[in-house]
Amino acid sequence: MEKYEKLEKVGEGTYGKVYRAKDKATGQLVALKKTRLEMDEEGIPPTALREISLLKMLSHSLYIVRLLCVEHIDKNGKPFLYLVFEYLDTDLKKFIDSHRKGPNARPLPPSLIQSFLYQLCKGVAHCHSHGVLHRDLKPQNLLVDKEKGILKIADLGLGRAFTVPMKSYTHEIVTLWYRAPEVLLGSTHYSTAVDMWSVGCIFAEMVRRQALFPGDSEFQQLLYIFRLVGTPTDKQWPGVTSLRDWHVYPQWEPQNLASAVPALGPDGVDLLANMLKFNPADRISAKAALDHPYFDSLDKSQF
Amino acid sequence: MAELELHNQNLMPKLIDYLSSLLQRVAEANDINVRFQPQKISVFHGLTRPNISIQSYLERIFKYANCSPCCFVVAYVYLDRFTQCQPSLPINSFNIHRLLITSVMIAAKFMDDMYYNNAYYAKVGGISTTEMNFLEVDFLFGLGFHLNVTPTTFQTYCAYLQKEMLLLQPVVVPPINFEDSSLLIGSRSPKLQYICYNEDESSSQQQQQQLVV
Repeated sequence: MEKYEKLEKVGEGTYGKVYRAKDKATGQLVALKKTRLEMDEEGIPPTALREISLLKMLSHSLYIVRLLCVEHIDKNGKPFLYLVFEYLDTDLKKFIDSHRKGPNARPLPPSLIQSFLYQLCKGVAHCHSHGVLHRDLKPQNLLVDKEKGILKIADLGLGRAFTVPMKSYTHEIVTLWYRAPEVLLGSTHYSTAVDMWSVGCIFAEMVRRQALFPGDSEFQQLLYIFRLVGTPTDKQWPGVTSLRDWHVYPQWEPQNLASAVPALGPDGVDLLANMLKFNPADRISAKAALDHPYFDSLDKSQF
Repeated sequence: MAELELHNQNLMPKLIDYLSSLLQRVAEANDINVRFQPQKISVFHGLTRPNISIQSYLERIFKYANCSPCCFVVAYVYLDRFTQCQPSLPINSFNIHRLLITSVMIAAKFMDDMYYNNAYYAKVGGISTTEMNFLEVDFLFGLGFHLNVTPTTFQTYCAYLQKEMLLLQPVVVPPINFEDSSLLIGSRSPKLQYICYNEDESSSQQQQQQLVV
């Protein structure tokens, strides 16, 4: 890895360390993800196999973080895999945080929310069109270039949010806040709709500058959801009461969604409502979301 | 993870037969070519031509790997991609065995939720675990980690193999069926055909004969 000059450690996940580094020849900043290969009976972990191949397939999209190359290095007889990613300076979580507190606390500009959401839907549509579910979309996994207003999906299982410093992982890695109700209720059949639920939660969070459903247990998470969107019935979501983890819940009526996102106009609220439909079959797809009237005022030629 | 639904128990042996004869023809053709054009020697290249025939070797892998049947189709896709990515490494009689064991193992790792580890495949393939690990890394990089096989690609290869098998045999070959979505990454097929390493390992290993490639 003489090609790169390590600048600092920016994260550490279960797979290994992540460094900010510079390509010595071009000066390009990269994120280096170092994975130790246990050359034992197991060989290369299948998770690494799957995730590298998914990234290789998906990362030609502008809206997915680019995997520049994978290198196999033998260092003092110990083999490592290095994943070399393009480097983005922040992630959506830190970006929202910087607008919530501190000297620059102010709402995110509505046009930026619109643009970020459009880019997110583009990236999700790209994953889905290749038969890939992300399953862990959250602000920490969305990398942001502040200057250019670019948002990209990262961490297809392997990466973690690799610009987030180490400390914040421990409690956030288990976050349930963006998890779809069918997953929380123990449904065994996931679909692309699980990602769209997360997209809805992220959309609302950009508007509110705080999480929409900040549960700290699976049960609590469901209660947060039901309190706002109403307790689901078999009529609106056939089969819900037969899901594995269904219990009897308090019967809440749906609240006015607009009250949860007061800064959002009617088109935005309508799109959000379509992303937060209980029945996965009714939830809007990423591709359909791109054509929603909420994006009518967006200059799509730039994407 | 994915599964070929075999309507007819005879389909897999026929597929193994067909793949063996196809690969043998390719290997023999390239054995002749090697005299006219230099070929790169890779880690897959054995020092000698292995004694075991391609047919027996593939049957052995089929018998002991217990991976889902679709892994053999996927392994074939990988071999096809590998030779396209590595034109200077054509399949020949010296490397086909190592390419086969490696491609089936990677297919099983990629496709199946349960699979045997590298050490087990090394025993099935008659090589050391260390060599198996090196072959795995080289095969993956040789493929550019291009492991995903879309349902469409899978279907195309199945249709091709089926057509070729039909041409070879007078009997009607039953259609290869598979669930449309079963190749999607992350989908969880309820009909997983998997094996459990701990339970099956000992009995399989007892049956195994020594093999050196």
